[in-house]
Amino acid sequence: MSSIPSRRLSRASSRAESTFSFHSLPASTAPLALSSPAVTHRSEPSDFVRRSNRHKKIPVDVRTLEYLEPCDSNLVCLICHCPFDKAVRLACDHVFCNDCVDQAFAAQEGSAPKTCPTCRNRVDLNREPLPVPRILMSMLDELRVKCPNHKAGCTWADKRSDAQDHVELYCDHAQVECASPDCRLGVLQKDFHKGCLHYTVSCEHCHTSMMKKDLEQICPNRMTICTSCFIEILRHDLPSHLKEECPKATIMCPGSVCGCSFAHERTVVVAHVTTCPMATMAPFFQAQKARLDEQESQQKLLQRKVDILEGGLSNIQNMLYPANTNPNEPCPVPNPLDPNTIDYASGPLPGTPDFRLPAAAFPPASQPTVDQATAAGQPPQPPFDSSTHHLLSLHESLRDEVSRIANALTDLEGRTNMMIINENQRVKDEMLHTNAAINSMRMQLHWLTSARLQAQNRTTGGGGPGSSSAAGGSGSSGSGASRAGGNGGGSGSAGAGAGGSGLGGGVTLHPIRRLSDSNRQDTKL
Amino acid sequence: MTAAEVNSSEAKISPPSRSTTGSANVTKRLQTELMTLMMSSTPGISAFPNDENLLQWTATIDGPDGTPYAGLSFKLSFEFPSTYPLTAPTVLFKTPIYHPNIDFSGRICLDILKDKWSAIYNVQSVLLSLQSLLGEPNNSSPLNGQAAELWDKDPVEYKRLVLARHREDEETGLGL
Repeated sequence: MSSIPSRRLSRASSRAESTFSFHSLPASTAPLALSSPAVTHRSEPSDFVRRSNRHKKIPVDVRTLEYLEPCDSNLVCLICHCPFDKAVRLACDHVFCNDCVDQAFAAQEGSAPKTCPTCRNRVDLNREPLPVPRILMSMLDELRVKCPNHKAGCTWADKRSDAQDHVELYCDHAQVECASPDCRLGVLQKDFHKGCLHYTVSCEHCHTSMMKKDLEQICPNRMTICTSCFIEILRHDLPSHLKEECPKATIMCPGSVCGCSFAHERTVVVAHVTTCPMATMAPFFQAQKARLDEQESQQKLLQRKVDILEGGLSNIQNMLYPANTNPNEPCPVPNPLDPNTIDYASGPLPGTPDFRLPAAAFPPASQPTVDQATAAGQPPQPPFDSSTHHLLSLHESLRDEVSRIANALTDLEGRTNMMIINENQRVKDEMLHTNAAINSMRMQLHWLTSARLQAQNRTTGGGGPGSSSAAGGSGSSGSGASRAGGNGGGSGSAGAGAGGSGLGGGVTLHPIRRLSDSNRQDTKL
Repeated sequence: MTAAEVNSSEAKISPPSRSTTGSANVTKRLQTELMTLMMSSTPGISAFPNDENLLQWTATIDGPDGTPYAGLSFKLSFEFPSTYPLTAPTVLFKTPIYHPNIDFSGRICLDILKDKWSAIYNVQSVLLSLQSLLGEPNNSSPLNGQAAELWDKDPVEYKRLVLARHREDEETGLGL
């Protein structure tokens, strides 16, 4: 094995010239080479012998085959769940694949006698397994399978019994040993005649290095043949060629967007288009559809904007009229979109007497608002280029207005407060004045009463000393009462007057003391 | 069975020439089993492979009507050896279950999962066997002796314990 790399190296160098010569060959040789193998190989009768020799004798594993139709469940082995492969029968009439039942016996406990996997009947390994009836064999043979190489591109599908022969003798996609006696690698049967392809080349089209056998499959810049019109074309361009140019490729009539179901080769379709009314209308329909789509997307955008703005507007309205919580109640403003109807003149709002907002230009609201604007002596506002702009400006100005109103309110509140304080002060002063006046009036009243009493005492004449002392006691008690209550002064003096009315004594001194008494009382207040 | 015997039997099961096709056979068989399970949809049982590993499945069985397990559903885990179906899969109850033949970590005492395994059994047949084991426990060889006693003596208490054990799962399930 270790000698293989060096051998391959030497071969690669010896073939270097041929590699270059291949590169210089025109690409048109490829289709010739592609189409040749089947013809040349099938024509030689001795080729089968040679092929069966070089073919790697790998038996087809029936269990890995793909079946064309789902298999009858009676033909399925219960162990591997595949259609029977080399079916055998046990004495109890249970059928299994030969390999499956062997493996099942091997897995059973070593010393114990083997039993049927299904019914646990004892199995006599000397006599069993038995052959199955011929009818079962033929039913199994007639199951239709795909070629084991179908993933490599083989489309063969037929009886299961023929699969082995197909792979060994006919399948072009089977792996066979390389033609070169030195090479151990496998090659697809269809490429066998090209000699050994297992050396690395650099692709002249895409400049990557790969094995020669992969060159045609991988490189996108190699020429290939269109399957429909058989012209030669770069592999890379094949999809676009089929889609747009190939005259033989089957395409739909361009009117299919409006319902035309005509589908044929491109040349026929081109002729059909001239007569198909739907194909003639298709471009208009498509243009209209594009415009509709565009409009729809724009409308969605605008709808979203309007939603946002309406939300903002209702927020502002709620701020302006917080009391108006019930949405069903009529709004104080007849048209909430026209702020001109708000009566600014009634409130003292400094800085906003001539504040006017443009009336909304919406169709339902436009007529009355424009009338109002003209009635107010202002020219109607030029229409906005979009309702969104109008709403935006409305929103802005309303926001300004709200902040201005808020400022005015705080201003007003401050001033009202100041006014109340001033007024209070004045009222207090006046009350003090009144109090003082009342007191002076009372003093005058006292003085007048005492003067009157003195005059009365003088006219009635003097009394004994006891009576005068009694009068003094009554006077002192009167002064004490006047000290206790607000009206005490008056009642005391009345008591003193009553005491003094019948009695005399010490009359010259008494009025003076009482005057001083009342004075003292006054200063106490 | 000694270690040497195990080796020799395994060598017979998968001879060197078919060592690769052996594991391919397991996958292929499990795929067909999954297909039949999905197509047939037997009531009360379901199974599906875990993510990206066809050799590990999660299955559910519903408790059969007329048993203390009626109305409850139980999760199980399947682990298939590379020699499946010649050797039995490892089956465990993931939902806590109170049963004479199942211990508290979910291990099952059932002959067909041990020495009586046969290559013709499959996921569906194992699940059906377990479902019938719920209604007909083998009380002569219990893993849970208390349950085996209560099964005949006190069905009411048995049912209460079954429900209590099943509720543990719901609580841990909520905690997760």
